[in-house]
Amino acid sequence: MICPRSIAAVALATIFLTAAAWAHDETKYPDWSGQWLRAGGIQWDPTKPIGRGQQAPLTPEYQAIFEASLADQAAGGPGNDARYSCFPVGMPRLMSVIFPMEFIFSPRITYILFENNMPRRIYTDGRTWPNDPEPTFAGYSIGQWIDADGDGRYDALEVETRHMKGPRTLEGSGLPLHKDNQTMVKERIFLDKTNPDILHDEITTIDHALTRPWTVTKKFRRERNPTWFENDCSEDNHHVAIGKENYFLSADGYLMPAKRGQAPPDLKYFNRSKY
Amino acid sequence: MQRQLVMLASSAFLATSGAVLAHHSFAMFDQENPIELEGSVQEFKFTSPHTFIILTVKQEDGTTQAWSLEGAAPSALVRDGWSSKTLKAGDELKLTIEPLRSGAPGGAWSVSKTKFKDGRPIMVSQ
Repeated sequence: MICPRSIAAVALATIFLTAAAWAHDETKYPDWSGQWLRAGGIQWDPTKPIGRGQQAPLTPEYQAIFEASLADQAAGGPGNDARYSCFPVGMPRLMSVIFPMEFIFSPRITYILFENNMPRRIYTDGRTWPNDPEPTFAGYSIGQWIDADGDGRYDALEVETRHMKGPRTLEGSGLPLHKDNQTMVKERIFLDKTNPDILHDEITTIDHALTRPWTVTKKFRRERNPTWFENDCSEDNHHVAIGKENYFLSADGYLMPAKRGQAPPDLKYFNRSKY
Repeated sequence: MQRQLVMLASSAFLATSGAVLAHHSFAMFDQENPIELEGSVQEFKFTSPHTFIILTVKQEDGTTQAWSLEGAAPSALVRDGWSSKTLKAGDELKLTIEPLRSGAPGGAWSVSKTKFKDGRPIMVSQ
């Protein structure tokens, strides 16, 4: 007969072992606590102006798509940028961090929480790539913590992201990524060596819309005593996407044109004799 | 429809704050040709993703037109010292806005180009 005390001992041991598996040595991780705000503008490459000034290494086909987007925006349209209608921006544009982010470390996953977007999960448990997962806008990220200086404490997180869905652009100008969604993103995230309240993300985008891998470095500054806000795009968005057109809500909630000479939406389903 | 406004030709008023603060393209607003508006606040919508000032503007013929003016996100305004109580219905304002390219009564407003009609700046706690 099994002694009840033995059962209890086994149960307690199981609980403690499980807890130990989840607890991790926090001294091994860098201090990335607090709120991180972008230290530059909203453009993709922070060192260059938005739009054509980015001098993006686009293929001729995608340069033409970009030019068409810019022309549409100049006329008041959205171009390729669907974010005006709360469409997800996805990776790598998430890392422009238009609104602040924070990092949460757990033994197997590093989370990046954004004020106005779905979170990223970066799996750091040594897993291999899944076979044909469902794509997501944020993609599937596998990361590895690096102790570059051998002092026993991690100082960089290297990440690779695949399996994204689209359409996605790199910035509000509508700078396009390829419709085949075969993008691969590689990142190296690390604190500034001279200022612990500055974080760098060196991001390399590999995509068939580009003639070569494109590397930019984003910089973020830390706010150690942050205030967090609720920022849900769907709360009161006044931009309305109907088909390929964007409209703007009036003060009294009706559709207004955004472009000069814009036609109203097609009302073909509003046939009163049928419904 | 007649609008009480002044076209500003000076390039010094080229507005960049709307584009800087937006999570998306603000290209539907004409940043090269800003206009001045005067009116009273019908409603100050302190909502995501963007705040809105609904401004009642008197027309030359005595009628009024409600303008839908989009601004920065609430979280961005709070970091500049604003709150949902900074503006209230009835406040008389003078603004330089970037109007919708279509000419419809809408546009983008910014903190730096918004003040009370009598010239006082919008006072906010720091």
